[in-house]
Formats: sequence, structure tokens, C-alpha cells
Amino acid sequence: MLAVLSVEIRKLNRSLAALLAVAAPSLIALFVFFIVLRGQRAGSWDMFLQGSITAWAFFMLPMSVTALTALVAHMEHGPRAWDHLRSLPVPRWRIYAAKALCVIAVVIAMTGLNLALTWASVSVASVLKPTVAPTGSPDVAKLLLLNAKIVAAATLMIAIQLWAALRFSSFVPALAVGIGGTFFSVVATSAKEGVFFPWQMPVNMMAKEAWRVETALALGGGLGLVMLALAVAHLARREVL
Amino acid sequence: MPAAIETEGLTRRFGSRLAVDDLSMTVPKQAVYGFLGRNGAGKTTTLKMVLGLIRPTDGVAHVCGLNVARDRIAAARKIGALLEAHGFYANLTGAENLALTATLLGAPRTEIDRVLEVVEMRADAGRKVAGYSLGMRQRLGLARAMLGAPPVLVLDEPTNGLDPDGIADMRRFLRSLPERTGATVLLSSHLLGEIEQTATHVGVVNDGKLVLEGELARLKADLAQEIVLRTGDDARAAELLAGHDLAAVRTETGLIAPLRPGDDVDQAAAALNRALVQAGIAVFAIGPRDRSLEDIYRRVATPAQRQLEVA
Repeated sequence: MLAVLSVEIRKLNRSLAALLAVAAPSLIALFVFFIVLRGQRAGSWDMFLQGSITAWAFFMLPMSVTALTALVAHMEHGPRAWDHLRSLPVPRWRIYAAKALCVIAVVIAMTGLNLALTWASVSVASVLKPTVAPTGSPDVAKLLLLNAKIVAAATLMIAIQLWAALRFSSFVPALAVGIGGTFFSVVATSAKEGVFFPWQMPVNMMAKEAWRVETALALGGGLGLVMLALAVAHLARREVL
Repeated sequence: MPAAIETEGLTRRFGSRLAVDDLSMTVPKQAVYGFLGRNGAGKTTTLKMVLGLIRPTDGVAHVCGLNVARDRIAAARKIGALLEAHGFYANLTGAENLALTATLLGAPRTEIDRVLEVVEMRADAGRKVAGYSLGMRQRLGLARAMLGAPPVLVLDEPTNGLDPDGIADMRRFLRSLPERTGATVLLSSHLLGEIEQTATHVGVVNDGKLVLEGELARLKADLAQEIVLRTGDDARAAELLAGHDLAAVRTETGLIAPLRPGDDVDQAAAALNRALVQAGIAVFAIGPRDRSLEDIYRRVATPAQRQLEVA
């Protein structure tokens, strides 16, 4: 399994997916940078970093997962590499499981990078404009735990997006699912039912009500793992014509 | 000793369309087996079933005695494949692409250098595949198929995109493989010349059915002998041959006269020459006609031709 996983990771070298992994969190960091510079008075570290994490979980994470899974899948769909991969003496489920693990690893890296880049951009902005330098110090452990919960709650969304991207050789179904999911997630932000909606589960980790956090985490993480297993089994069994 | 590849009653339907129909083929060990058929005849579908990429509706495929459906992983270890779609990652270099497959096969890194050397791609191995020509991708695909030195190579249209020198090199290389490495090559193509110049054995598939299979030299020998002649008056010569019960056909290259079964070609040529000269017809050239794979192919693969022969 480690060999297949290492192959999946090496494929990302110089790829658009790798570029996306850096570009998406950078956009939020850039946005926060200008917000800080526009400010008149100092805010707290937690305010800036929480704001960045909210923007990530609310909008950028669902959109990034949509694009990332489509790009990762297209690495095989584009040059029609499935025939070669599936003809090798490797159990097919491992190929798809490695792809899923690789995507989750990239999402974890992007989520961490979002936090790191935001910290860097706030630091640079406060050097350029010392009057807005953030006060206090960030509660790193709390922020890392929040990020971990966001990724865990995003598992169901990742599983759905990855299945759609791998199942269909065209970009269109995966993008339609991702854009549609993100759209409904954004327009129905305050709806209580959003806790059951895979694209809104990550942002529910910021909710004040404990039941929302627990429900979204349990569904997103638990059902996500089940969905991932089903997706891997289905993709490994089906023929790629 | 089991054949390198053997299929029994291999059948595959796509909805109502029968792509491969009860196809039983045998690829002997260390043969270069040319799998011939027009586009859409069922070649690629058959190869995909041999590689375990798609499941047969009926029938079974064996590779080195291993049932592909029951023992896919073990069978896949015996095969290296070059498929029509190369499936290279354009963002990676040629060597990096090979390294991915080598990792999945558990082959040592030295294998990458070895196969690059074989296909003469060492100098370009550090370049990104995005910048490769079709011919270079084809050679890299062949290198990838040879990683781990599998005993059977399945090559789908391997000369696609190669320049004339590259095609000649590829043919030479494929012909030499069984002797050099003991490998068996199953080579699919719709190009008669390519198969004729490369293969020791041939299988012809038409509308999903295997309509002919055998050793190429024997198949050629089994064809009825023909004499080709050029004369000063082909029309009169044809009439004269008809008088000898030989239905000669006028072609651009001269007259072609099929012999009766059992006729000795040299004796027949001498007799015809004598008859034509005695009739005052100048004979510029006369001799047995070289039989080509095209002759064999036309007899078995073209329905219109078959109808003509029946008529």
C-alpha cells in the first residue's frame, strides 16, 4: 500500500493539483493581509486566524475539494492512464484507496497551510502598519484542533466529490456536484438542516451549539469513511471502457 | 507446456453489440504473433480481456497457464503492455513516469536504465513527457512494457506515430525479442505490412471472430500457387491460357494465372512459356508469384471477396 501511496504523491509533482494546493490558501492569506492593512485599530490574533479558518471552511474548502478531486482524477482521465494502471499486478482497490488518502493528505496540508500563511500575512501586515499589529497570542492548540475537526467533517464531502470525479471522465459532473453543493451551502448558511448537508458540515465546526458540531462531525467523519470505502469498492469493481 | 496466451470461446457483448464472438486463439511461447484486423474488428477488446481490463461475457483467457479472471494479479505479473493510450503523466519526465511503474511492479531502479537503453531514450529521459513527440511516447511506452522483463508483451499498434526509421527499428527490435530475451510478443495492428515483416504467427479477426490463425510461413505455403507473366500481348496470352484451363487475370503488373492443386510451379511455368512462344507471343517475364499476407487476409477477412470466390 505504501508503494501505491508514494506513486500517488509523486504524481502531484509539478501538477496543477499541487499548484492549487498552494494557491487556494494563499488567496485567503492575501485577503486577510489587505483586511489587516485596511483596519484602523488592532485586533486579536484569534480574530484574524478564526476569520481565515471560517472563510476556508465556509467557501474555499468546498471549492478547493471540487477542483482538487477533479484535477487529481483528470491526471488519469486525461491521458487515459486507467488502462495502464489497472493492467498492473496491483489490487485495484489499493489504487483508488491511495488516491483517496492522497487527496485527504493534500486537504490536510492545505488546511494547515491556510493557517500558516494567514499567520505570515498578518505578521507582514503588522510590520508594514504597526498600529494594526494583532494583540495577544494565538491559541495554537485550539486552532489546530478546530482545523482537524474541519477536515474530519469534510470527509463525506471529499468522498462524494472524489467518487464523482473518478467515476466520470468528464469534468462536468464533478464540477456540477461541487459548485451546486457549495452554492446551496452558501445560500442556506443559517438553515438548521445545513448540519446534514455535506458541503456545510465543515463550517458547522465553528457553530456555537454543541449539537451542531457533534452532529456534523459524526456524520461528516463517520459517513465519510463509509462513503470512501464504498466509493473505493465500486470504482475498483467497475470496468473502465 | 502451456501457450503464452490462450483464449477459449472468448466473447464480449456491449449491450446488443457483439464485439468479440467465441474467439479461441493460441499464442505459442516465443512467437511474435500478429493480431490483425481492420479498425473495430475486436482486436483491442480481445487484448483488454487478455489483460483483465474488461470481463468476458463468456469464455476464458489464460496467460502462461494462469486464468486471467481468477488469478488476475499473477497473470498480470507475466505481461507487459503497450496500449493505444499511453497514459503518461505529462507533468513528469520520462524517467519519472517509468519510476512510477517500477515502484508499482517492485522492480529495481536499475531496470529503468536498462529499458531506457533498449529503446535508446536515455538522452531524453530527463525531459518532461509533455515535450515528447508521438514516436518518443511510443518508445517510452515500449520501455515501460518491458519493465521487470515480463515473459509476454502485449503491444497495441506499436508503430503508431513512428517515423520510417523508427518503424524499421521497432520491427527489427520486435523480431529479435524472442531470441534475445525469450519473450513472446502479441502484436495488434491493422497494417498488413507491419505484421508480415514482424510476425512469425498470425491471427486474423473479423467482426469479432477469429477467421484465421497459424504460422505465417505455413499459411503462405498453403495458398494456391500462382504464376505471374508479362508478355507482348496480354489479351492473346490470356486466351491461350484459357485454352490450357488456366483462368488468367489481367492486372497492372501483368497476367496472373492460378495453378491447379498439385501442379508443380516450375514445370507449369516452363510449359506456359513454351506454349506462348510457339504462339508467337513475346514473353518478357514469367515465374511464381510471391504470396503475401495481403493475399491471405483478403481471402478470409473481406466478405465481398468471399462472395466473389463462392461465385
